[in-house]
Amino acid sequence: MEYNPNIVCFSCKFGWGYVGDKQSGNGSPENWVPVVCSGKVESTHILEAFKAGADGVLILACQEGHCHYQDGNFQTGKKVYLLQKVLETFGIEHERVRMEMARNPEGDKIVQLVKDMKQDISKLGPVRRF
Amino acid sequence: MWTTMAKGSAAVEAAVKQFLPPCQVQCPINEDIQRTNVLISMLPDDPEMAANGIIQIGDYLYNRNPFFTVCGYVCGLCELECNYQSKGGAIKRRLLKRFIADSYTYHLDKKDEFDLIKHKENVAVVGGGPGGLMAAYDLSKRGYRVTIFEASDRLGGALWLIPRYRLPEKVLTSALDNLTRLTGVDVRFNSPVGNGRLTLDKLRNEGYSAVFMAKGTPTPRTLTFGGEDVKGQDLSGVMYGHTFLYEVSHGNIRPNYFRGKKVVVIGGGNVAFDAARTARRLGGETTIVCLECEDKKSKDGIPADFEEIRGAWEEGIRIIYSRGVSTIHGEGERVRKIECPKCTSVFDATGFNPQFDVSDRIPLDAEVLIVTVGQGPDRMALHQDNLLDERGRLAIDPLTLQSLNREWVFIGGDLRRIGFMVDAMRDGLVAAESIERYLRGLDIKEGRKRDYEPQDIPLRRHYMTEPEVLWIPPEKRMHFQLFERGFSLAEAIEEAKRCLTCGPCVSCKACVSIGIQDALSAVEVNPDRCSGCGICTSICYYGAAQSRQDEDKRRSVTDMFKCKSCGMCVVACPSGARKLVGDPMHARIEDVYANLSATIGG
Repeated sequence: MEYNPNIVCFSCKFGWGYVGDKQSGNGSPENWVPVVCSGKVESTHILEAFKAGADGVLILACQEGHCHYQDGNFQTGKKVYLLQKVLETFGIEHERVRMEMARNPEGDKIVQLVKDMKQDISKLGPVRRF
Repeated sequence: MWTTMAKGSAAVEAAVKQFLPPCQVQCPINEDIQRTNVLISMLPDDPEMAANGIIQIGDYLYNRNPFFTVCGYVCGLCELECNYQSKGGAIKRRLLKRFIADSYTYHLDKKDEFDLIKHKENVAVVGGGPGGLMAAYDLSKRGYRVTIFEASDRLGGALWLIPRYRLPEKVLTSALDNLTRLTGVDVRFNSPVGNGRLTLDKLRNEGYSAVFMAKGTPTPRTLTFGGEDVKGQDLSGVMYGHTFLYEVSHGNIRPNYFRGKKVVVIGGGNVAFDAARTARRLGGETTIVCLECEDKKSKDGIPADFEEIRGAWEEGIRIIYSRGVSTIHGEGERVRKIECPKCTSVFDATGFNPQFDVSDRIPLDAEVLIVTVGQGPDRMALHQDNLLDERGRLAIDPLTLQSLNREWVFIGGDLRRIGFMVDAMRDGLVAAESIERYLRGLDIKEGRKRDYEPQDIPLRRHYMTEPEVLWIPPEKRMHFQLFERGFSLAEAIEEAKRCLTCGPCVSCKACVSIGIQDALSAVEVNPDRCSGCGICTSICYYGAAQSRQDEDKRRSVTDMFKCKSCGMCVVACPSGARKLVGDPMHARIEDVYANLSATIGG
C-alpha cells in the first residue's frame, strides 16, 4: 500500500478561511483543528499529535505583525523552532513540524498546503518509533 | 462570505462602568469602533465578495448612527485618543468609516424602509440639524410619531456649513433624505418655533407630548474689542463666516467671486478655516487673523485642527497669530483696512478675556472681512419660551437634558453647548432616552451616568507606522471637489489590521458576530496549582494576568475586564494552573487525535 502520511493541521481563524463556505465543508482537510490564535497551540499538543500517529504537524498562523492578539504567531514561531530542535534529538525530523505565516481569507490554500506537506513527508517515510 | 450577527450572544454588552478602547470612550456616542475595525480587517480581498461584507458593516453602523457616512468625512474625534498615537500614529478610523461610507451612501438610496410600528405618543423635534435628526431617528425606532419643525427649507442645519471639498453634497443629501424616508419621520419646513406663529405651548396644544429643542445657534457673534462692538461692521464687504458659508452652500455665490480681492478672515476655529479656505477657492487673496498663538499646546493655542491649519497653509493662506482687530476703516461705504493690535493673552482665570498691547499694532488691507468668531442662540426666543433661568442661562439638567422650567421640553445640540456634529447627535440620543423615560413614567435619571475607563495600549513586539493620507496637491486643489483620497479595499484591510483592538471582548464581539467563536471563553486560575511564579504576567499583552499577594502565598489572578481569552497565559503556565473555560479547542483536538489513532489502529 502506498504510504499516505497523516498531517494534523492547526489554522488561525483570524487569518485563514474565515470567509469560506462553512456549510458545504468542501475541501476542508482531514485532521484539521481551526484555532482562534495559533499562539494557543501548545508544545504538548504537537507532541500528542505524533503520539496519536501523525506524521507531520502544520501550523497556519497570521502574517508577521498581524496577530489579532498582538504576538501570538510570534510566540508559536519561537515554540516551533525550539521544538524542532528537541524533536530532532528524538529522531523526529524537523521538517515534520511546519509553520506558515500568511493570510488566506477564503481558506482555499489550506488543502493545498496540507497536500504539499504530505508530499514532502512521503519522502521521509513514517515516523520512526522506538 | 460571512454573515455578521448583531443580536443575542453577538450583541455588545454595555455596562454602567466598564473598560472601553480609548477611541470609544472619546466618541460622544460610543460607537462600536473596535468591532467594525475588526470586521473591516476580515473582509476578503476580492472586491465583489467584500461588497456584501461592507454593506453588512454599514448596516451595523447605520443602526446606531444614521450619520456615520457623514462622520466618515468630517469627524475623526476618536483618532485623537487612539492608543496608537504614541507608537506610530492613530488608526485612521475616519478614513476606514469613509471607506464603508463610499459604498453605503449609494446603498442607502436602495435600503428598505424600517418596519416600525408607531403606537406611542407624538413628539415634536424643533430643528432639523444633526441633534434633532438623531433624536427623531431614535424616537421613531422606539415607536414614537415624530414631527420635525425646521425653520429653513432643508434639513441638515449646520452640516450645510461644511464646505464641499470636505463633505461631498451627495453624502450629505443621501444621509438626510434617507433618514427621514427610512424612519417615516414627518418634516415641516419653513416652520420656525419660537418668536413666530408657532410656540412651544402651541405644539403642546396640538398634541405633542414632549418636545426636543435643538435649533442651533443661528446668530453670529459680532467682533468686539475691549468689551465693545468694533465699529464699521455694517460696512459693505464685512460679512459673518456662517452667513458666508451658508450662502456658498446654497450656491448663491458664483465662482471666482473674490478674484483679486484681499480677504481677511477673523477667527481661529475650524469654521474660520472653512471660511478662509472657501474664500481662497473663490479666488481671494486670503489672510486669517486670530487672537490665539501658533502653539496648540499652550493655554492660548489656536483651536482649529492641525489638518485645517496645514491645509490652509498649503493653499497659500497667510495666518497671522496673536492679533485682534481694534478698528475697521472704511472708504465710503466699503471696508478698506483693519488695525490689528498684538494680543498678549486670550484666556485667564475668568475664561475668555483677551488682553492687548495697543502700542504694537499693524494695519492690514481688507477688501472683504469675514468675521468668524463664534455664534450664539436666539436668546430672545428662549426667554419668551421660558427656558432660561434668572441669570439668563438655559435652565436644564445636563444629565437628562430636561428643561427645569418645563418638564416636557428637552434641549440639546449647539443650542445647549456649541460642539462638534457628534456632540449634537449625542444630545439627540440622550434626549430620546429621557423622553422615553418621561413619557413611560420611568425614573429619568437612574443608571444614566456612565463611567468608562480607557484600556491601556497592548504590548507587542513591533508597532506599525500609519499610512500616508494622500491630498491633491494645493495647486490642483482650488475647487470644491474632495481633496483627500479615500482608502482602497486593500488599504482599508491593511489599516484595520493595524488596530490594536485594545478594548475588552465584551464591548466588541466581532469574532462571535461572524461565527469564528461561539461565545467568549474565560480564563480560570486554579489557586492550588498556581505557584505564583508570575510567568503569566510577563506573557500577557493586556495586563490582565496579575500577580497578587494573598495571606499565605503569592498567586496569579485574571482581570476579566481586560482579558481577551487569547490563551497565551494558559500556554505559558508551567504548572497548568490556568485554563480556558468554554473553549472548544481541546475537545476538537481530542476528537481529531482519537480519530487519527483509530485510523492508524484500523
